Amino acid sequence: MKNNQILIAPVAITAYSALSASGLGCAALYQDLQANYSKLAPLSLFNVPFPAYVGEIKQPLLSIREQLSDYNCRNARVALTALNDEQGGVRAAVEAAKEKYGAHRIGVIIGTSTSGLYETEDAYGVLVETGKMPDDFHFVTEHAYQATGRFVQLELGLTGVCFAISTACSSGAKAIAAGQGLISAGICDAVLVGGVDTLCRLTLRGFRSLELVANQPCKPMDKDRQGISIGEAAGLMLLEKCHADNANKMKVLAVGESSDAHHMSTPHPDGEGAALAMRNALQLAGLQAENIDYLNLHATATKINDRMESRAVFNVFADAVPCSGTKGVTGHTLGAAGALETIIALLALQHQFIPGTQGLQKLDEECQCQVVKEPVSKQNMHIAMSNSFGFGGNNASVIVAL
Amino acid sequence: MMKQLFIKSYAICCPDAELLAPFGLLGSDIDKSLIPAAMRRRTSMTTRMAITAAKLACTQANSDSQHLASVFASLGGEIQVTDALCRLLPDDNELLSPTQFHNSVHNTTAGYWAILNKCQEPSTAIAAADDTFAMGLIEVWSQLQQQGCGERLLVCYDELWPQYLAPPIGLAAFACAFVLSTDAEQAIGSLSLPQISEQTEKNFPIEWLMLTESAPAAAVIPLLMALQQATQEQVPLNIKTPIWVSDISALGRDKE
Repeated sequence: MKNNQILIAPVAITAYSALSASGLGCAALYQDLQANYSKLAPLSLFNVPFPAYVGEIKQPLLSIREQLSDYNCRNARVALTALNDEQGGVRAAVEAAKEKYGAHRIGVIIGTSTSGLYETEDAYGVLVETGKMPDDFHFVTEHAYQATGRFVQLELGLTGVCFAISTACSSGAKAIAAGQGLISAGICDAVLVGGVDTLCRLTLRGFRSLELVANQPCKPMDKDRQGISIGEAAGLMLLEKCHADNANKMKVLAVGESSDAHHMSTPHPDGEGAALAMRNALQLAGLQAENIDYLNLHATATKINDRMESRAVFNVFADAVPCSGTKGVTGHTLGAAGALETIIALLALQHQFIPGTQGLQKLDEECQCQVVKEPVSKQNMHIAMSNSFGFGGNNASVIVAL
Repeated sequence: MMKQLFIKSYAICCPDAELLAPFGLLGSDIDKSLIPAAMRRRTSMTTRMAITAAKLACTQANSDSQHLASVFASLGGEIQVTDALCRLLPDDNELLSPTQFHNSVHNTTAGYWAILNKCQEPSTAIAAADDTFAMGLIEVWSQLQQQGCGERLLVCYDELWPQYLAPPIGLAAFACAFVLSTDAEQAIGSLSLPQISEQTEKNFPIEWLMLTESAPAAAVIPLLMALQQATQEQVPLNIKTPIWVSDISALGRDKE
């Protein structure tokens, strides 16, 4: 089974930015990760009939320009704010890529689980009361899954491939996979990929109905974990084909994907599908398990996810890889999580440190993996993995390299 | 770069058969025998339509659905389930059904398809408004080009929608599935990589425009007609400018 053949060409990550409860930009996110500081707080954006700690974006968001006002919703504003983060430089990198390759050669693939559903919920309030949707309700350009991706494409003046991936909590990771695939296949020269998801009543109350929402800030991998804390975020990256100009940039090596084929909302108890995604990623990248220096876990802090994930990770890595879950800092950002946490893996490599597992007090005895509780410096880290698993048994593991 | 993608089979599921009459195409109703009773009770019209089309396409292509990766493409996915949940949200006292909640995600059909076929291969769920079918083809192309050889299942589907959301979307329901391959063996036709053309929507047949405005997945119809009529032509893959097109070369093996 030893096979070191690389099955997919790496792609360069020429710019990336994140907006989450930690604020705008990677420096703010890194600061919270390094301090292992939780940004979870009681929900303030709207009311739900139960206590909920969430990772809410509190900072002001940029406004959508008049010409694109049909796309105006919180999800699009979160995307725009991350796109324009000067420190991350995603917008400037896209402009440079347009010059280099042409607007039609740059794709946009955005993962999301609920897109602009938050505004639709308000509209349903009007519908239930009056029997009519409000005049400013725009389903296709706000709520439909592609809305945020299309908005970003129009905002940037791009004209190539553009679609949304919506596979629940693996959406952001799968968008990275699709972007790498389009470049590898020669269909695009660059692809803006990522995940954008924002808080809404449906996900809060839906996860609550499944008894998966914690009353207190989430405690990933803890023996007393009670469930998730939902968050919101945008994680954006510009992927480009590798050439001499971007040789010093970090890379996406591969994304491994799989399906559980087990249950719609409960993962396979032994993490079969999760292990398969991690193994597929290693195989595509031509790597062995021992090549991974850090693993960012999905670690939602539900009883069943963390149990199955620790089994899956142990099956693939034994206890050899340092791993941590970062949802205690940012919350579970659902369709954005795969992108946000791939960016966290990039920060781990860039700053040569292993993030901690905020919220973890006493490790679940069943977990045999090397879970890192507090952030720690580590030298010579080159390659990291990030796991994302969604409803429908939809799994993706992203491998990135310095 | 791969020059063409081969079509091994296609199947339509369209509960209102009259909608297909102007195009000379035949579709199936939702076939209950293809979906176990327990799953039938839990799934929506859109998932049952998509699974019917997918099962029929796999059977025709003699493809092993347990080992077939898939791309599910739909503008709105589980809109009926989402609508029912959204109607409850204005009342804080309403409790949501956990089953309905996990059935509201866009990859619901993909999840049930994997469970039904015990398929652990990757599966994705995409959306691109009017371009959903064209983007589905591009995603399949991208995956197969990267893999070098193999097959993919592509399913495009849209169900009936409440008319207060985005009329006339959802006035008609339509699903179509394809088994696509890098290999010419047993192919009924081939297609080129979708490209944006100079064409505008003005010259399209009105029947197709009207159906596709109501059921975005019906964007597949010109391609299906080319296959059925065994023609070689450039077909449009969507109805609104910019128009994506593909060169279809039908091999006329459709009616064996």
